[in-house]
Amino acid sequence: MSALILPLLFIVVILIAACKKVRVYDSFCRGAKESVPLVLSLFPYLAAMLALASLFEESGLSALLARALSPAFSFLGIPEEIAGLVLVKPFSGSASAAVLADICARFGADSYIARCAAAVYASGETVFYLSAVYYAGLSRRPPAFALAVAAASNLLAVVAACFFCRIF
Amino acid sequence: MNILFLLLFLLSSAALALREPAAFLPALMDGAERALRLSASLCAVYAVWLGVLQIAKDARLTDGLARLLRPLTSRLLGVKDEEALRHAAVNFSANLLGAGGAATPAGVAAMRRLDALSGGRRAQAVLFAVNCAGLQLIPVTAVALRERLGAAAPYDVILPVFLASAAALAFSLVLLRLLPFGRRKD
Repeated sequence: MSALILPLLFIVVILIAACKKVRVYDSFCRGAKESVPLVLSLFPYLAAMLALASLFEESGLSALLARALSPAFSFLGIPEEIAGLVLVKPFSGSASAAVLADICARFGADSYIARCAAAVYASGETVFYLSAVYYAGLSRRPPAFALAVAAASNLLAVVAACFFCRIF
Repeated sequence: MNILFLLLFLLSSAALALREPAAFLPALMDGAERALRLSASLCAVYAVWLGVLQIAKDARLTDGLARLLRPLTSRLLGVKDEEALRHAAVNFSANLLGAGGAATPAGVAAMRRLDALSGGRRAQAVLFAVNCAGLQLIPVTAVALRERLGAAAPYDVILPVFLASAAALAFSLVLLRLLPFGRRKD
């Protein structure tokens, strides 16, 4: 059902455009042309972030941090099995999708742990990755308060997701 | 950001150098290579979405969307600039539909437009917070992933996800409204 939304949206947009005598091929190409400079301006920031993330992961610091934080997590009602996911999520969407798949395979896709993990995965975006993308190439650097607010509300989303998974 | 980067880089490098010095350069290269692969796939995603968005723009559909959402966007962002509000309207609706590929270029365009405006700093923080909360009607990826891995009821996370995102969004909007920072000397 939800898979139909996007095809329908595209069809409706193109039909309306055609009715209004828009030259759809030319328009599409004009829009697509903007993707290259956009990605070029993002790449340096992504390279810096992901190189650091990989270094952090390989150094064993992220595993250490996950272990150190697990008492705090269990206090907040976050199952310790998903601590790794909570720590990866702010940095990388694809990495956390991989962790989510791993959790589903290990605990069963219908288990409370897997539901929690899926809810945590979906109920917020990758804050640090987004900050790299959204604030890339602006005259203002990401203000600390914006990052702090986003990170705090992401943590709230994690706690809330685990809580709502328990009651529903 | 620079201090965070410096600290994390030094700490991780030292830890890795003590454990396994040979893994140092490969780890960095691996990260940069992932950035390259990510950029390539982002480029493809953006090409498709920006193409379709341009069609929608030329058919004046995004103007309609922007007018429809104007009460919401102008109140949230607190700016009057039409172009920034139009990008923000596209960004918000793409987020709700779970079409991240369309949300990001529109969001980045809105951020760049807001960069030059007075009061833009707070508006940028609000736009960023909305995108971080990632409120969507149906969490497509998570549902699809669990479905593929054999969940009997992959849709049972929709309600918890929606409530948790909404709570996070409300929390950050309230914080941004109450806290004084970001308003001074814009």
